[in-house]
Amino acid sequence: MQATIGESKKAFMTGNEIVTWAALAAGAEVMFGYPITPQNEVMHYWTRLAPKYGREFLQTEDEISAGFTVCGAVQAGKKAFTATAGPGNVLMQEPFGMAEAMRLPLVAIIQQRGGPSSGTVVYSQQEVTLTTFGGNGEGNRMVYSTATHQEIFDYVIKGFNVAWKYRFPTFILGDGYQAKMREPLTIYEPQDRGIEMVSPYPLIGKAGSIGVDREAEHLCNIYSLEEELYDVVLQHAEDYERIAPEIIEYEEKECEDADILIISHGVVSRAADDAVKALRAQGIKAGYFRPITLRPFPQQQLRDAIAKSGAKKMLVAESAYGQLYRLIRQEIYGETIPIEGLFMPGVGIIDYDIMNKVKSIL
Amino acid sequence: MFRFHSQIDRIVEAYIGEYASGKSELAINRALELKQQEHRVVLVDLDTVEPFYTLRPLKRLLEEKGLEVIGLSSEDAFGLGETGAMLTPQARWALWREGDIILDVGYGVMGAQTLNLVEGAYESPHLRILAVINALRPMTNSQDRIVEYLHNLGRVDAVIANSHLGDETDAELVLNANRIVFSVAQQMGLPVDYVAVDEKLRDEVPGERFPVPVKYIKRYMPGAMWK
Amino acid sequence: MTVSPAVPKSWYLPSKPHKFCPGCGHGIVLKALGEVIDELNIQDKTIFGCDIGCSLLSWNFFNCDSTQTHHGRTTPVMVGIKRSRPELVTIGYMGDGGGYSIGSQHLLNAAVRNEKVTLILVNNTNYGMTGGQMAPTTLPGQKTETTPYGRDTDVTGYPTKGPEFLNALTQDDAYIARATVSNYRQLKRFIKNALRNQIEGHGFSFVEVLSTCPTNWRTNAQQTLHFLEDEMEKYFPVGELKNPLGKGDK
Repeated sequence: MQATIGESKKAFMTGNEIVTWAALAAGAEVMFGYPITPQNEVMHYWTRLAPKYGREFLQTEDEISAGFTVCGAVQAGKKAFTATAGPGNVLMQEPFGMAEAMRLPLVAIIQQRGGPSSGTVVYSQQEVTLTTFGGNGEGNRMVYSTATHQEIFDYVIKGFNVAWKYRFPTFILGDGYQAKMREPLTIYEPQDRGIEMVSPYPLIGKAGSIGVDREAEHLCNIYSLEEELYDVVLQHAEDYERIAPEIIEYEEKECEDADILIISHGVVSRAADDAVKALRAQGIKAGYFRPITLRPFPQQQLRDAIAKSGAKKMLVAESAYGQLYRLIRQEIYGETIPIEGLFMPGVGIIDYDIMNKVKSIL
Repeated sequence: MFRFHSQIDRIVEAYIGEYASGKSELAINRALELKQQEHRVVLVDLDTVEPFYTLRPLKRLLEEKGLEVIGLSSEDAFGLGETGAMLTPQARWALWREGDIILDVGYGVMGAQTLNLVEGAYESPHLRILAVINALRPMTNSQDRIVEYLHNLGRVDAVIANSHLGDETDAELVLNANRIVFSVAQQMGLPVDYVAVDEKLRDEVPGERFPVPVKYIKRYMPGAMWK
Repeated sequence: MTVSPAVPKSWYLPSKPHKFCPGCGHGIVLKALGEVIDELNIQDKTIFGCDIGCSLLSWNFFNCDSTQTHHGRTTPVMVGIKRSRPELVTIGYMGDGGGYSIGSQHLLNAAVRNEKVTLILVNNTNYGMTGGQMAPTTLPGQKTETTPYGRDTDVTGYPTKGPEFLNALTQDDAYIARATVSNYRQLKRFIKNALRNQIEGHGFSFVEVLSTCPTNWRTNAQQTLHFLEDEMEKYFPVGELKNPLGKGDK
């Protein structure tokens, strides 16, 4: 595949543009999409660039179709992806569920906007529950919550690799701020960083004559008997739990002696990082913990941080009304540390918001 | 057609260019510069692709600084479910106002054609269309790419060299990255109006390093996101 | 001599001046609709529902009960209202993206079921409010933000002809028409027929209106009219495709 980035270099871009360049660098061959703010520039830039690099694009009739065309393309052996937000993410739960059921290496970039329903087009972190556990399944998904433009580039590339390696649908969870913010980052060809890209391969339409070279493939996601489905779901759960330790990523700072642990994800963790530094400077022992993967969740690592810090309290800060908070509570069931929430659904959180909250609860 | 006296000799500049190339930042700085020279200045937000992410959060601040700002304020935005790609009548008739006019034109496949939306723009003898180029953006990071890009824009009267990496900009980078912009300008026979440099680098990038004026820019746009 | 009021009685005045761009056709369609609501004297029993997109700006346009729905979902919401309260006059207002793309299955099935709602769909050949992407109605070769090299019909097919396909799906009691904002009297007549068809209990009523989007087309006034009258009207023929009210009712 043609080189897209060339020599590694610094660049100044918005988050949506980075998604496009990273997908090109990762060897994505086709994007299916439908207009929805705030992800539109992913499509705008993909449609400008794709023909120059022999890649393809189709604007489908809606997000349901965008998701299912990705399901079809990856079965045919193409590295395919989509990008959406808010109501589009809701519609895509149907194809995302099929990808879970059939273990399809679907990649989706989610730029969260305000909800519920039409909400706002600007920003929020209200698609955590939907992206991690949406659909009528068991949440066998890999969800990376990025915080910086560098991470958007890095994790979109990684996302294609884990999707094709582990065969669970993979999500890069951004938000409207990250989509539109502009900052510098380093862009590179994955192979120049020693990243080997997993080659796509067809699940159907393979080479060879049926009955001679190979048997016909019969893929499905519906079963006649309860027991059949039961076996499939248990097998998926077992696979997911087995690979989870290889997938889990997190970031931890100053937790060793913290009196209070501040947990956040995505762009809010930038504010949390600043808040921890400022609180420390004021003599308040705060610690920082950030799950990078929301699914699978770094639950043991968080339990360890609680244990080693001996923290008296935990604060969950998020631009949603308790979606991360509920996720954490279920993941660290049994811990007795009191958990407080700073819930600001659909609006940005800055370091002062977190510092003021910490001071009010300590 | 009737014109005010102040429309006879005035500055009309349209800032066009790639997404996130720095159009709004330079338009704001230029408008404030003219204001400081005691001109009457109208700053027009013509970003039709995503007006929700541009001047809107800064409108009040800029008005407090004495600019006349034509664009949506947050209150006007009520009821706009999507990005709010729209044009106000005030923007359409901006050239009928008195004073200098600085047009902040959004990006898009139509390039400079957005000026079709401003009544009298192309007939104005004062109009200068300035293409802002940041050679550290991948779409415009080589001579070929910038030339292709400028050809697609349509009419361009001059370019502005605005190569930077946000907070990670340093003097070396400003000097090196803008070289491409200068050679493109030479190739296409376009003047470089000025080099834009973050005011934080004032001492490290002295004006005499370039054959054209250097303007030291205060960055307002980072404040647009978190308000 | 009396001069008829320039502003329909059914308009909601605090929301004026409206927020559509200069040169946009929505205001013309909504003026015609307002005058028809007045003439039919249905302000008190009208439910106006709008989609997402530029049509959303009509949310508080009328001094009628109004409801904003969701991307492409105006049709089923209006169907739910009409089936619950048949005495109400339900008007669904949407764009070409909401009607022909994300809401196309609803449009198609509402037509097949002969739902007694009136739907007005504004065709301006692009997704206006998300910033000018390709719509199902984008003309061949037309540049948009997602067809930066022009719409390639090999990749995306040809523009959707909504009234024609709805005509094929419906029976004789449906009303199907295509109007244009360049012919106001005809536009108003078609909208009136579409509402009368619902009120008189016949069936599904649909008007597509060819409209203008200078902001996303990047056209001045002359170029805008040229695109509407010489490009769009050539591709999308204007007229009534089905009118159960009979010729005498025009």
